[in-house]
Amino acid sequence: MVDRFRFLWETGRRDLGRVKSRIIRELVKENIDTIQGRTPRVPPHPLLRISSRALLWVSVSLTLVAASYSLSTITEARREMASPTLSSPVAVKAQPPSLGETASANPESSLPAPQPIDRAVLPLGVQKIVLDPGHGGADSGTIAPGGIVEKEITLDIGHRLRRLLEKAAFDVAMTRKTDKAVSLKDRVGFANAVRGDLFVSIHINWIKTRKTRGVETYYLGPTDDPYLTQLTAMENKESGYSLTDYRGLLEAIYMDVRNNESRRLASAVQTSLFRSLRTINPKVKNRGVKKAPFIVLVGTRMPAILAEVSCLSNKREARLLARPDYRQRIAEALFGAIHSYADSLTRTHQKGA
Amino acid sequence: MNTENGILHIGIDLGTSRSSVSASNGERHVVESYVGWPVDMVAQKLLKRPVLVGREALENRPMLSLHRPLEQGLIQEGSERDQMAVRELLRHLISLVGVNPEDRDGLKVRAVIGVPAEALRVNKQSLRNALKGIADSLMIVSEPFAVAYGIEALRYTMIIDIGAGTADFCVMKGRFPTEDDQRTLTNAGDWIDEQLAKLIRERYPDAQFTIHMVREWKEKSSFLGEPTLPVVVTAPIGGKPTQLDITNEMRNACESIVPPIAETMVDLLSRVEPEYQEKIRNNVTLAGGSSQITGLAKHLQNILGDLGGGRVRMVKDPVFAGSDGGLSIALDAPSSDWHMLST
Repeated sequence: MVDRFRFLWETGRRDLGRVKSRIIRELVKENIDTIQGRTPRVPPHPLLRISSRALLWVSVSLTLVAASYSLSTITEARREMASPTLSSPVAVKAQPPSLGETASANPESSLPAPQPIDRAVLPLGVQKIVLDPGHGGADSGTIAPGGIVEKEITLDIGHRLRRLLEKAAFDVAMTRKTDKAVSLKDRVGFANAVRGDLFVSIHINWIKTRKTRGVETYYLGPTDDPYLTQLTAMENKESGYSLTDYRGLLEAIYMDVRNNESRRLASAVQTSLFRSLRTINPKVKNRGVKKAPFIVLVGTRMPAILAEVSCLSNKREARLLARPDYRQRIAEALFGAIHSYADSLTRTHQKGA
Repeated sequence: MNTENGILHIGIDLGTSRSSVSASNGERHVVESYVGWPVDMVAQKLLKRPVLVGREALENRPMLSLHRPLEQGLIQEGSERDQMAVRELLRHLISLVGVNPEDRDGLKVRAVIGVPAEALRVNKQSLRNALKGIADSLMIVSEPFAVAYGIEALRYTMIIDIGAGTADFCVMKGRFPTEDDQRTLTNAGDWIDEQLAKLIRERYPDAQFTIHMVREWKEKSSFLGEPTLPVVVTAPIGGKPTQLDITNEMRNACESIVPPIAETMVDLLSRVEPEYQEKIRNNVTLAGGSSQITGLAKHLQNILGDLGGGRVRMVKDPVFAGSDGGLSIALDAPSSDWHMLST
């Protein structure tokens, strides 16, 4: 009996030793990948497994092409040094991802540590972005049955988005950085006071039909949809505006010249969110770009949108929202859209110049 | 110094609130993760040092620009001060085990540093940059993984490491955990402190206290369920020290952490292959400073009861579980691997 126990114990230890060795190997490999600036290795797709001879030919050809390209680039660069222009910012800004390709890209692992760029050298129309994480303090927003609270998720996504934007050299101001109550009036006042170029309000949706999931993005406009009227009333709760203020604000809605820009930004955000999230949330619905008179869209003086980035009423999406990687994905999608929109403005300015 | 062949292996748990170090020479230490620089020349003259670390920094905080480098489980990107604070903290920890970081005198230091899982995911490259030169060779791992390795809970186990800034979850399936096996929540110790401060302020609007005082009260008396004794603390009201009964506030603040943790635990469990779910349910281990809330393990175990039962236990030595795990990894990694990991 004692021998049997000893045998089992020794077998168990041997197995554990094997598991430990395997884990250490994988851990070391992961750390070496980080040192060398590579993303963690994954087995290659069978179609990509080409013979070493073919690989050699491909690399020789690429080297030749690269060499000829480098020579022409050097010549170009010298020519440019002789007559300096302001065309370089486009090259500087080549790094951030474009719409829809933000999902798994991890610039940290493939590039050297990011260096702050002086935004003053970039002649962009968009420099300062005001982020508005919805709700806060006593106003929790919606709460999923598992205890996930809208105000916390919006703040977390807000901070993630802030980090991405700051890394890309945008100035970012947040209407709240902590769990505190800020009235809608104060949010609007803050955005106008800091003279933001864009205003992005982040919210999580709650839809009566629990099975519904998806993303939708709003810009300012009238609505006669009963669902939107109800949602607007809910989000406009505790706005801090008086009835007179509200009437004045509403009068400004339809003559708002920035609305076209808001619509473009909303469209970029909606496309980016949907494209990015459906890769890990295949049943996500594209609920579209919509118009509604949310207070934060009415009072702000810059292009402004409100994004409902998921549905807390849907059990599956609530679970996804509990995952940091999903929230990071949302932040990256918003970042991709904002960046793409800002780039499009730059291109327009350059064409016009 | 007692080292093997001129090599010292070190495991470090770089936490949001406390950091611990375990070394192969038998030294083990824990410090508060605070780093402070004197705010002006007067403060520097009084303190007689350019930088203070740990409790000393906390105690002299009025004279310091105080940093908690991994607040919310992350190094703040682009914040040079936070990167410097991480370096200072590590230098301090390494000096505590008897190594002079400036002059190692031929001694080779191999370190495994455990960080909050979120920092590892988001700040991996900047962490390595911040840690350059601190040791000869370096591995960075997630804290719950280091704990799992240290207690040899590598198969069919879930580790829930509840620290100050984050609660990190990791399911071990006999292989190196992928991102899908891990989760991070920001509902952790700091969150309880904020809730507790808010509740106390609501009940005693005139009481004067700081978040540091609230943190100390929580560390002394946190509980879930029925209290064994009333929680009574002293704080000034109008300058006069006054006793405040905060029993209900303490319970409510501690309870606020349970739903998100339970939800994430159940969610992670539901993603495991069905035949292994029961094994993992019976092998849930709590680690980290904030897991020491009296009654938390029992509470989570009751929740698992609804899923067919399970067992939640506390790691034996929550303060050093992470750094001891890091040390085990450091000692188990072959020398040939360490050569490839030089900083």
